[in-house]
Amino acid sequence: MEYWKDQHEPITAFLKLFEKAKEDPELSEGLKKVNQLIWFDYTEDGSDCSFHVDCRNGQVVAKQGKPSEEPDLIMSLSADDAHRSWSNKLNPVMAITRKKIRVKGSATGLLKLAPKLKKVALIYEQALNELNFLDKILK
Amino acid sequence: MKFPSIGFEPFFSWVNRTRILYAPSVRKELAFELSQLGGSNVVLFTDKGVSKAGISQKIVEQISNSELKLAGIFDNIQQDARMTNINDGAEYYRSCGADCMVVVGGGSVMDTAKAVNILIGTGLDDFKPLAEQAGLWEDAKPLPPHIAFPTTAGTGCEVTNAMVVLDVESKSKLSVTHPYCNSDIAMLDPELTLSLPPKITAFTGMDALTHAIEGVSSVGAEPIADALGLHAIRLISKYLPIAVNEPENIEARGNMLIASTMAAMCFCNTMTGATHATAHALGALHGIPHGMANAIMLPLVMEFNIEECPERYAVIADALGLQVHEDEISTAASKSVQAIRELKELIGLTETLRDYGVKNDPEHFGPLVELAASDGQISYNPRYVEENDLLRLFNQAI
Repeated sequence: MEYWKDQHEPITAFLKLFEKAKEDPELSEGLKKVNQLIWFDYTEDGSDCSFHVDCRNGQVVAKQGKPSEEPDLIMSLSADDAHRSWSNKLNPVMAITRKKIRVKGSATGLLKLAPKLKKVALIYEQALNELNFLDKILK
Repeated sequence: MKFPSIGFEPFFSWVNRTRILYAPSVRKELAFELSQLGGSNVVLFTDKGVSKAGISQKIVEQISNSELKLAGIFDNIQQDARMTNINDGAEYYRSCGADCMVVVGGGSVMDTAKAVNILIGTGLDDFKPLAEQAGLWEDAKPLPPHIAFPTTAGTGCEVTNAMVVLDVESKSKLSVTHPYCNSDIAMLDPELTLSLPPKITAFTGMDALTHAIEGVSSVGAEPIADALGLHAIRLISKYLPIAVNEPENIEARGNMLIASTMAAMCFCNTMTGATHATAHALGALHGIPHGMANAIMLPLVMEFNIEECPERYAVIADALGLQVHEDEISTAASKSVQAIRELKELIGLTETLRDYGVKNDPEHFGPLVELAASDGQISYNPRYVEENDLLRLFNQAI
């Protein structure tokens, strides 16, 4: 991995991102509208390298690992590309066409949030700052 | 104005797999080209308007006078590619034992046929789950032979590796990409566009122009796409007024067809921007034809964007044929917006959103803003667009 020392670092960063994104009314509402159980699968970088977000029933809960239930959507990619994506340095639609992101299930809800990636990137930068992951911030 | 420095992302890719044949009467090459692709039993996809105008008959004649067999004609395609039309089209293709498709029509027909061919190639019978995946690149394989004859010079769907599908239930438009969905061969035969009425010629031409301008100003813009987009702008600004005012002018019709294909080869690599995002919302919620919605929104979005990338709008002004060589970049950029307004006037496109029943009230603007803000194309707009900006743009378009 180019940006991470081990498979746990990216998950720590991404869970922190979702914790902070929930505090933003626009992103929180947007995620609730997705109304899916989503598994972000980075297991190509380690068997524990994944997390899931449950946006069903008007809640947003992010946890480490694969969900116990069958996910509605699986986004599989590398932890480095996920870092680029949350940093708004990797366009998700372009990444799908280059097979950097593999999608299984309905992605229309989540892709509706793609235009918010600029805002997500700002929150992600704050999250990295709070975790003292300063060397990982992409400019 | 010297040619400005124009930046682009350090990594980009450009692709177009479709072979293009151009000539008045190029349809005469259909039988040879289709047999070269391995097709023999043809199903023709079109719509009732194209059939009624006698255009699809010109292609049927080519099939009938050859070794090819016409397995059937599917003409139940409505405005905007729809799930039901797509699934019915695939069932029809299979029921007549076809092994290839010839497509004659505008964007709705060509996008429907692309989706049908994906169902045929994958052996599936419902397009909805595929559309919801948005990107169909995993394990994608080449599809059965497919030749397209565009009958409008606007969408460029014959070459784009994406299709826009209307989900009637959710009143939204889904953009779906597949690496092999565009036609194997696009046959650009301007004789098939001669009977297009002036109004449709005008707004489909503005669709092509919007593809070129947004393709060149998108955050994904790059030099190869720039070359295609800027030359498309040159051709459209010269030939669109002629095609509108002299419908039978084959030179103008031909150049418009070439320009719309080039514009599509530009934008399908760079994507578009806020004009398309707002036009998709206007189409889905108010049924405004895509080209017309683009024509209404384009100058407003350009005006909004100019401060972000004046150098790109300056080269657009140059491509529009304006005298900008003595101007500062910002002055040249501003002239491009005025030129678009003058072009619209010249081709008789004076419509506003009010003409389509859109009202200046929250009941109309709220859903439009919500839909446009979540449209994938808005991510490629050169200036970041907030919901308040969208509200202002829709307000200006009333």
